[in-house]
Amino acid sequence: MLSSMENDHRNLSPAEAATALNGLTVDRERLSSSVQVPWVLLAAFGGVGAWWVSTASGTTPGGNYEPPASGWLALVGALVIAHLVRRETGVRFRKMGVRAGWAFAGILTVCLVVFSVSLGLVSFGLHWAVALTSLLAFAATTWLAGVAFRSAVEQLRRG
Amino acid sequence: MGEASFDETIHAPVRLRICGLLRPVEQLDFAVLRDALDVSDATLSKHLKTLAASGYVSSTKVASAGRDDARRITWLSLTNAGRSAFDAHVLALQQIAGTLA
Repeated sequence: MLSSMENDHRNLSPAEAATALNGLTVDRERLSSSVQVPWVLLAAFGGVGAWWVSTASGTTPGGNYEPPASGWLALVGALVIAHLVRRETGVRFRKMGVRAGWAFAGILTVCLVVFSVSLGLVSFGLHWAVALTSLLAFAATTWLAGVAFRSAVEQLRRG
Repeated sequence: MGEASFDETIHAPVRLRICGLLRPVEQLDFAVLRDALDVSDATLSKHLKTLAASGYVSSTKVASAGRDDARRITWLSLTNAGRSAFDAHVLALQQIAGTLA
């Protein structure tokens, strides 16, 4: 049976319309606050970043340097984790927000810079130091992935 | 800005809330939507059926190996027609409420 509200919207008062609109905001806030940050999967992003940086230790910087093909594998790994994040949260975000864009750019920049530093360390024979740069890549990537995720949730809350 | 248009199908309270939650996302899992609305599976299914019949909502089912009962995840989304109708309906509500900027 259709409610009276459905039958004739001309009977809808401004207060009722405002209440309906307000309900939409409340629902979005409830949904966004129920979305748990999947820290394990965000740490997996960090793991991919750390693994990619660590591959610098297996290279031979200098004239015979050949870039490792691990970049493509890291990209595939990141896409798989992104898929798992969607499945875990049950949300496929439409917009992630400007802050998320900066966070993704930050991940790329940090990983590239840390990879370059790692190559420099390897060229000086300091292979062991790559463990430290990998750790730095892990921490930075995990944190920035968290920033990006929270930005997406904030976009969801705003509607 | 689009044109305001009151939509009787969307305006039913639960259906309005469904569209309101699907509007800002690409897709939402059935279970997440059900929990956010605090309604039963049957109630949500009934309203989704009405919205789907109007061409406003689409659903896709994917296998979920992670679930013990081998159920499939049902992803829900607003269609282009659903987004347009919802946006026009919200404008109509804003006009009635007098909150249209």
